[in-house]
Amino acid sequence: MGAALTYLIWKSPYATNQWLTRGQPVAFSHAHHVGDLGLDCRMCHIGAEKAAFAGIPSTHICMTCHSQIWTNAAMLAPVRESLKTRMPLHWQRVNRLPDYVFFDHSVHVANGVGCSTCHGPVQDMALMRQQEPLTMGWCLQCHRHPERYVRPKDRVFDMAWRAPDDQAAQGYRLVKEYHIDAGHLTDCSICHR
Amino acid sequence: MPSLTTDRMTVDRRVALKLLASAVAATMARCSPPDEEIVPYVDMPEGLVAGESMRFATTLSLSGYGRGFLGISVDGRPIKIEGNPRHPFSLGATDIFAEAEVLSLYDPGRSSAALRDGQIANWDDFATDWERVGDATAGSAIALVTGRIVSPTMLARIDALKARFPGLRWYRYEPVSDDAARAGAQLAYGRLVTAMPRWAEFDVVLALDADPLGHGPGQLHTARAFSSRRGSGHRQEIHVVEPAWTLTGAAADFRLALAPQLIGEVGRLIANGLGANLGEAQLSETSRAFAEQVSRKLLAAPERAVVLAGEGQPAELHALCHWINGRLRAPVDYLPSFDPIDTSSRDQFLALAEDLRARNILALIIVDVNPVYDSPDSLNMVDAVRSVPFSAHLGLYRDETGQCCHWHLPATHPLESWGDARALDGTASLVQPLIQRLHDTRTHDEFLALLANEPAKDAYDLTRATWRPMAAADFDMWWRTALHDGVIAGTTVTPVTISAAQLSRLPEPSSASGLTLVLSPDPAVWDGRFANNAWLQECPSPFTKQVWGNCIRLAPGDAAKLGIADEDTVDIELDGVTISAPAIVMEGQVEGTAASSWGQGHHAADNLLGGGAGERYCGLGSQPFPRVLNGAQLRKSAKVIPFRSTQSHTRLSGPAEELFQIATLAELAKTRSQTEALPPSLLEVPPKGEYAWAMVVDSDACIGCNACVVACQAENNVPIVGPEEISQGRDMHWLRVDGYARPQGGVMRRGFQPVPCMHCELAPCEPVCPVEASVHDHEGLNVQVYNRCIGTRFCEANCPYKVRRFNWFA
Repeated sequence: MGAALTYLIWKSPYATNQWLTRGQPVAFSHAHHVGDLGLDCRMCHIGAEKAAFAGIPSTHICMTCHSQIWTNAAMLAPVRESLKTRMPLHWQRVNRLPDYVFFDHSVHVANGVGCSTCHGPVQDMALMRQQEPLTMGWCLQCHRHPERYVRPKDRVFDMAWRAPDDQAAQGYRLVKEYHIDAGHLTDCSICHR
Repeated sequence: MPSLTTDRMTVDRRVALKLLASAVAATMARCSPPDEEIVPYVDMPEGLVAGESMRFATTLSLSGYGRGFLGISVDGRPIKIEGNPRHPFSLGATDIFAEAEVLSLYDPGRSSAALRDGQIANWDDFATDWERVGDATAGSAIALVTGRIVSPTMLARIDALKARFPGLRWYRYEPVSDDAARAGAQLAYGRLVTAMPRWAEFDVVLALDADPLGHGPGQLHTARAFSSRRGSGHRQEIHVVEPAWTLTGAAADFRLALAPQLIGEVGRLIANGLGANLGEAQLSETSRAFAEQVSRKLLAAPERAVVLAGEGQPAELHALCHWINGRLRAPVDYLPSFDPIDTSSRDQFLALAEDLRARNILALIIVDVNPVYDSPDSLNMVDAVRSVPFSAHLGLYRDETGQCCHWHLPATHPLESWGDARALDGTASLVQPLIQRLHDTRTHDEFLALLANEPAKDAYDLTRATWRPMAAADFDMWWRTALHDGVIAGTTVTPVTISAAQLSRLPEPSSASGLTLVLSPDPAVWDGRFANNAWLQECPSPFTKQVWGNCIRLAPGDAAKLGIADEDTVDIELDGVTISAPAIVMEGQVEGTAASSWGQGHHAADNLLGGGAGERYCGLGSQPFPRVLNGAQLRKSAKVIPFRSTQSHTRLSGPAEELFQIATLAELAKTRSQTEALPPSLLEVPPKGEYAWAMVVDSDACIGCNACVVACQAENNVPIVGPEEISQGRDMHWLRVDGYARPQGGVMRRGFQPVPCMHCELAPCEPVCPVEASVHDHEGLNVQVYNRCIGTRFCEANCPYKVRRFNWFA
């Protein structure tokens, strides 16, 4: 009974932080920037395509636009303050993996795993939340069967993409085309180094 | 909770379950992942991708000569040095010192503040003091002591300093220098030229107490040519005559152990064979037979044979070798010297000592050398330096010299510096920093600019000013190209054609009384400048596998006479000075010699560089930087000095010889056709993926330089454990180089066998792990899931190569 209780609690959003929306120093709205304005993920999350860590944009990137638009908005005061004092903003991490997991963003982005697959419908989020549990079991769902989730590389940043009816067939085709070795994907060393 | 006051507490199943549930509930109270912040840049540097590495070409110097490397930097911090394929003295490789430099950069033992008489001061105070000194003393009473300077920017700084103080005395010395080679060239050709053998072109080489594959600024260049011939099927025949084992001796096909005084006789015999008529060579029968054989081989390979002499031999032998090479039409380039100072390091050092003794010097400036450590004790350098009214030392550490000077100023590490350097063949390259200065330090250029009161005082501006005349039109483009490439085109010195070498007389061999002490630069700490670098101190010496110290290597006969066994402490006495050190018996070292190295034994340094490990030998004798000292007495010591090594058993005999296989080419051709059948196994065959990794170490090409050991340590953040733990057998190196000695073909041969994790296909460490932390992946690698490991160490026990390491304090 205790074991079952532990398991349920362990998998619950209480422990995994799924659907948890965190307060941020600036109430940045992905719904507005991505949904309304249509900004690409890579505009701000520079490392997503190139590095292990996708990154949070520097103050400079925010000010690229906000030095011209909404220049005196009260909501953006912390950003202006950050630029003036040269002190960065302290964002609260929403999607987090433990230290013993070596997660590399670029290899996912480069192999047809879309942003919305793991991060959810970001374009609908007024405040960022963790959409998925990000547990090892959840990661393994895709690592064991990548053909169920992989999409064409040119649709990776497309927030509106939905899996087609023939995802199974398309998935198998893409997995072969992208040389995704499902056997190797379930090696421990893929994430635990 | 059941009451604890009952007389007999019965725990039945219900109670147990209640306890379990409450415990579980307690642990669930706080079980979600911790909160974390992401703090990005305010203004991100251009081109930087967070967490990804960037490579910058820079140059690191060794004994004054540069080798170009690529520094790998992550998030603005250099973490690794790798080779620069474009630089002729790197060719994409690194040596042990380059790999270790990154640790020296972050060394907490580095000086971080200016000290005046041991008290913390600052650079402004120094500038004020210097101005007063500059005004008070005439130029000729100011002495500048440096290492070898061939960097154009540094030479310009010295010129500026001389312009401000005409008559400034500049003493330059390098403990590991080429004094004998230069004197030999002077004797043979009447001019200072450096011989650069074209390694790829010769078939037979004789090294007379030379160690071309040994450590030094030219090692990478030589080793690359050596290994390319090794692997090509068109091998070179290497003959070595030396008193004690060197890396070249281990790689040799034919080796003769001969006393250093008699090595010249081999040269005499060979020269006689070429018509020199220098008198009878005084060699024993075996030595004569060896010399005659090598003479025949040299003569049988015209234009493809060369003879080299080492720094431990006199200039006359070097001159004779030039003559021999001329007669053999050896493939050697002669480069005119681009070192502006013609005098030898020894003479310059002695002149410095004399001028200090005579109280001719009123202001002493020492830039990044350690004359107090390097000096023979008979010159009394401590008092000499202390007697100077004003002295300043610029260095990375407050070493022996820094303690004796009034001012000790912290130097900028090369990885934080702007500057330039030249390689052995003159190829110039820029030095660029990979990180902002960690402390308030100055580079050598900036220090001299400060002393000369130059208008520009920043190393960046100074370096750019040096090279501006080089670039015809677009300097910025030229500068960016030079920084990107890591070499400056058009700076390599062109070889000169020289006249035939003069045949000079070779003096009769001196007779040695007592033991001859043979000294060479330490394979880990070089001339002592790396004494505080823990990676290097813990890197096992190639032959003795000693760490944190330098032992005395003895020939078996000498050891047997005194009843000395391995690791016994011995006293070696020379001219009234006794040094105690642990001894190791080395089969293959010539009788009558004791061998050791410079660079260790920093007992006098305030902050005990290297923990005071090892013993200091450079104080012995009357000449600075001694390589051969006669008249030593050896006896067993009453003291006990611990000998720490990572491998105690190196001698292979009988069936153990198969651990290190040596074969002649003929034998090898015969064995190649045999294939071994795989023995049956109960182990599960691992799954196969699309491709598999493999790594091969060519132990025939391995010269034992240990660069790979330190490189692995740098790359994988392998910690050092210190001398006490090593004594208990707990070394942490992920890649070790096993040294073996075994007889083959009637002679004792030595070799090196790098042993990494072998990533066995049927790895014995995998089935024994109770938690499956040691697993095999689809790409053929044996991998470790660190977070699963519970530390039973069954894998370490089962590993046949004993390469598994447990770092409890990670």
